[in-house]
Amino acid sequence: MLTQFGQIALFILVIVLFISALPIAAFIFRLIGLAPHKPTQVKTSTYESGMETVGKSWIQFNVRYYTYALIFVALDVTAILLYTWAVDLKSLGAAGLGVALVFIAILAVGYLYTWKKKFLEWK
Amino acid sequence: MPYQLAWFIWTLPVFAFLAITLVLRPFFNHRPHWSAYATITAIGAAFVLSIWALITVLQSPDHLLAVPRIEWAVIDGFTIHLGLLVDSLTAIMLVVVTGVSLLVQIYSQGYMHGDPGYPRYFAWMALFTANMLGLVMADSLLFMYVFWEGVGLCSYLLIGFWFHKKSAADAAKKAFLVTRLGDFGFLAGILTLYFSQNTFDIEALRTAAAAGAIAGTTLTLAAIGIFAGAAGKSAQFPLHTWLPDAMEGPTPVSSLIHAATMVAAGVFLVARMFPVFAYSETALNVVAGIGAFTAIFAASMGLVANDIKRVMAYSTISQLGYMMLALGAGGLAAYASGGSLPIEEAISLGVAVGMFHLFNHAFFKCLLFLGCGSVNHATGTFDMRYMGGLRKYMPFTTLTFVIASLSLAGIWPLSGFWSKDEILVTSWNYIPVWFYVALVTVFMTAFYCFRAVFLTFSGEYRGGEPGAHVAAHSTPGHEQSHMPHESPRVMLVPMGVLAVLSIVSGWINLSGGFSSFLGHSAESEGGWLQTLFGVFTHPLPFISLATAAAGIFLAFAMYNRKWVSATAVGRAFSPIYKVLYNKYWMDELYQGILVKSFLLNGLFRGAQEMDADVVDGVANGIGNTVVGFGKGMRRMETGQLQGYAVAIAVGLVAIMLGLYFWT
Amino acid sequence: MNLWLLAPELSLFFTAVVVLLLGLASSRRGIVIGVSLLGVLVSFVFAAFLWSGTPQATFNGMLSVDQFAVFFKFIVLAALVLVILASADYDYKVEQVRAEYFTLILISAVGLMLLSSARELITIYVSLEMSSISLYVLAGFLRDRRSSEAGLKYLLLGSVASATLLYGMSFVYGLTGKTELGQIASAIQSLSLSGLLDNPALLLGLVLVAGGFGFKISSFPFQMWVPDVYEGAPTPITGYLSVASKAAGFAAVMRIFYDAFGAPSWLGQNWGLLFAGLSIATMTVGNIVATAQANIKRMMAYSSIAQAGYIMVGLAAVSMGQSVAPAARSALAFFLASYTLTNMGAFVAIIAFSNKTNSDLIVDYSGMGRRAPLLALGLTLCLVSLLGLPPTAGLIAKVYIFNAAVQQGLLWLVIVAVLNTVVSAYYYLRVVKLMWLGNPVSEEPVPSSAALRTALFLACAGILLLGIVPDLLVRLSETAGHSLL
Repeated sequence: MLTQFGQIALFILVIVLFISALPIAAFIFRLIGLAPHKPTQVKTSTYESGMETVGKSWIQFNVRYYTYALIFVALDVTAILLYTWAVDLKSLGAAGLGVALVFIAILAVGYLYTWKKKFLEWK
Repeated sequence: MPYQLAWFIWTLPVFAFLAITLVLRPFFNHRPHWSAYATITAIGAAFVLSIWALITVLQSPDHLLAVPRIEWAVIDGFTIHLGLLVDSLTAIMLVVVTGVSLLVQIYSQGYMHGDPGYPRYFAWMALFTANMLGLVMADSLLFMYVFWEGVGLCSYLLIGFWFHKKSAADAAKKAFLVTRLGDFGFLAGILTLYFSQNTFDIEALRTAAAAGAIAGTTLTLAAIGIFAGAAGKSAQFPLHTWLPDAMEGPTPVSSLIHAATMVAAGVFLVARMFPVFAYSETALNVVAGIGAFTAIFAASMGLVANDIKRVMAYSTISQLGYMMLALGAGGLAAYASGGSLPIEEAISLGVAVGMFHLFNHAFFKCLLFLGCGSVNHATGTFDMRYMGGLRKYMPFTTLTFVIASLSLAGIWPLSGFWSKDEILVTSWNYIPVWFYVALVTVFMTAFYCFRAVFLTFSGEYRGGEPGAHVAAHSTPGHEQSHMPHESPRVMLVPMGVLAVLSIVSGWINLSGGFSSFLGHSAESEGGWLQTLFGVFTHPLPFISLATAAAGIFLAFAMYNRKWVSATAVGRAFSPIYKVLYNKYWMDELYQGILVKSFLLNGLFRGAQEMDADVVDGVANGIGNTVVGFGKGMRRMETGQLQGYAVAIAVGLVAIMLGLYFWT
Repeated sequence: MNLWLLAPELSLFFTAVVVLLLGLASSRRGIVIGVSLLGVLVSFVFAAFLWSGTPQATFNGMLSVDQFAVFFKFIVLAALVLVILASADYDYKVEQVRAEYFTLILISAVGLMLLSSARELITIYVSLEMSSISLYVLAGFLRDRRSSEAGLKYLLLGSVASATLLYGMSFVYGLTGKTELGQIASAIQSLSLSGLLDNPALLLGLVLVAGGFGFKISSFPFQMWVPDVYEGAPTPITGYLSVASKAAGFAAVMRIFYDAFGAPSWLGQNWGLLFAGLSIATMTVGNIVATAQANIKRMMAYSSIAQAGYIMVGLAAVSMGQSVAPAARSALAFFLASYTLTNMGAFVAIIAFSNKTNSDLIVDYSGMGRRAPLLALGLTLCLVSLLGLPPTAGLIAKVYIFNAAVQQGLLWLVIVAVLNTVVSAYYYLRVVKLMWLGNPVSEEPVPSSAALRTALFLACAGILLLGIVPDLLVRLSETAGHSLL
């Protein structure tokens, strides 16, 4: 057991060394003058796929993004589940059909709820 | 009697209590009399049931009313059951308790008339009686202990009934605390027995003691522990100090406490557990010794008290000492006779003699207190120096009081004579040294009780106007006279009944009926008429009667005829007088040394400092740290949450490491 | 696959859906609460039918419907009734989303009821999440600062605990290749290990699963979320969290550890020791910190941590051997039932007080005996029962569980627990003393609604009934304890 743990410890050691090696190397290059240090406005700005950045990154998104996303995920997952169910429908038989209908009915209730509560409208 | 009814004997008064506190007092406070009726009805019904139970027990061959137990909780082999043990001892106690309580309740209607706490009084009286009944019926020590404490609680409430009076509140506190000291002993005794036998069941413990399953030091320790509890409740030396102070309660309460309920509990407990005592000579010697010493010690203080209720209080302590002496002497008979008397018979002898005195004492002492109450009702004071000559105004009270006093002094053929005589005979036969002490006590008893009689009822009235106390209790529209007057009939009837009982209650053992009912077969010489006069074939009754007569005569000489000046006697024996008058400075001793120096300044202060500095320090320190930590951290929500998550992670690792190293 | 065996859960879930749809049409208080209570009643009737049936496993062994599970379903339903009644007066704070509030409570109850039946790792996890996610939302339901903080904390730490639990389960699965508890047990036995350290995966699985549930049952050192969440959450939800989710959590722990890790005996001993140690730490931390609280909800939070410690005494006792485990399980069931009534009762009284005073500070309870005698009496009874004095259910519960532990030879643990009880007297009785002997802040009486009074009365009647005639429930819990599949 100790050897097994030893291997893991060895891995961790290598990882730590490797990760710390890069900044240390960069630092050393700076020290011995191998890397030039000339910061400009453009160089220090955030790289965002070549676009110029606008405003701060700490902004509040509209909460509707999240409600949309949640509803989307729920329906998406359901659709995927129904694929697997449809593939096997023959062997599942009438009982399988019933279960799926109940499942869809429950989702329908949720859908009805969001609709009535006007979560689907973007205001 | 169907056994189910036995449960009602003690639950009926509980129902009365509940009815008064939950229904009558909140909703019918303008009709206080209903409360009295509720209590009287419940206790009356309990009395009838008790008589029925007594008859049933008398008729059953093994003197036992079998009551199946109720299993209260069965938890995987650990059974807590509730049960009743109704044997001859219990049956007698039931009749005494319910009977005396019933008379006291009837009397109270007159005595407490117009008191603002009238319903409260009857509620507590009902609860008090219920607890006492439960105590005598309980079949396990644990169950009994619950009622035991219940009796203590009710006595606290009743002694402090007029709690706005500081002396009453103090007396109540004292009664509660002093008896509590004894209760620690009782609890220790119970636990000792439990750990030895793994049961709380009284019958099982008695059997175990008789079979020798508990023996040696364990037995002695258990017995002495139980006796400590009994001594607390029965006011035996050195735990006697609460009883005289307990006079602060309403007089009917005193009467109930002294006759049938609280103080009788101690003697009953010793009788109930007597097999535990009987197999330990040390324990028996303790019981007999303390009993005899208390008898003479309390009687001596009664000689000089001026408060009529206090005289009676000392008398009670002294008589309870007699009962303890009887129990101890009876038990010691087996050892003193050198084996010719088996221990089983010694047990029944002790119980029979002790209980017989308890039985008789209940009636005449109750009557004496009711008499005190009646006198107080008329004069507004308990101080005998302000009484005198009441014979003229209160003939009926005088008559009953004299009867009770004669009985207490042990004059033939009143009830007190018979039971006292049996105690004297028993101690003469087996432990002569205590016999002489008891004999001196007989003299003192006769003296102090007739001192009270002559001071109160003979001579001229020395009192002034009836005090405020009377005004508070007199009937509205009642003619306020300057002179004392006889009490209302509702008070006199119970006194009359008790007076008759004080005369005749001793006769039931003339042919040994009482003793044999308690398992002791006395040698009886023919019918009861022979015994009634036949006692004088033995020299002992002459000695005791002569002693008692001498005491009465001395009282007569000093307080009625004034042949001898009481003050002159007091001056002549002034050191002794002072000692007695100050009650041997026992109160000062307890108050000054134990309470003030030791407890207040030593133990309590230490505990307080310990509590304030160490316990509070630790608790507050830890608590404050956590609260402070929490408060500080709440401002940085993320930091705190991370902290919690880290705690989870660290906890998991610590648990793993713990298991790793432990296993 | 017999759907009748799921009838209590299905009917309750159906009620939840109905309540949600009703809420779209009308959110009148009477309708919402009435329908919810009706659903609980129906579910209760179904559960009562299951109680008299024979214990059986269903859904290919994923669920077991035995008396033990049904007993905990009863507990959850009882808590549900009390929390619905308690919310009736509280929900003016959640006016617009009232139906959602009750729907979520009902759904979480469905999850808890499933959890008490589940005997398969995935089912356990899914039922746990079903109740937890609803509770996360409920904790933050008031949407003020405190409540949001509570909800967020509960969600994040709950997720950590979920992850821990899943991680542990994955180790167990990796080791045995099974997810059904009984099969896990036989797989572990077939490994023929001689100690926990023979296989680190077992050690990891055991500890991580214990940690995941330790969060749910608020065991030390996973209890830190409790005071913050209890303080911030709506008070009825706090009460619900402290009883129902704890009860079902204990039922699940009982099942997992006893069924899956019960044999060989050294394994049982090991986790028994684990819970004994956690029990001591939990009750000590809970009691000591509770003594210094100024806010009654925080005090009750620490008190409920301490109570979890006492319950874990029973858990430790279960582990110590097959022959005596049923007794300890019965004790555990009884304790949780009595604790549910008591704690919910206390929270109902707290709600009634804070509705009037808008304060949860203990000092504001001063003199409440005069302002609201009945409420104060009810709270006194609950606190006395939590402390374990006669004539309340709390005493019987403590005697029962400690007795089971002593029989298992855990005397030392019981001694620590009794000492802890003594400490707890300080803070319980402090409130009682303040209520009856303190001077009232104002003379204004404290009104309370009929629903709250009913809830408090039910709880107190239960406490007294079980305290005076414990046999009623002792028999049921014994049946439950002996029936575990």
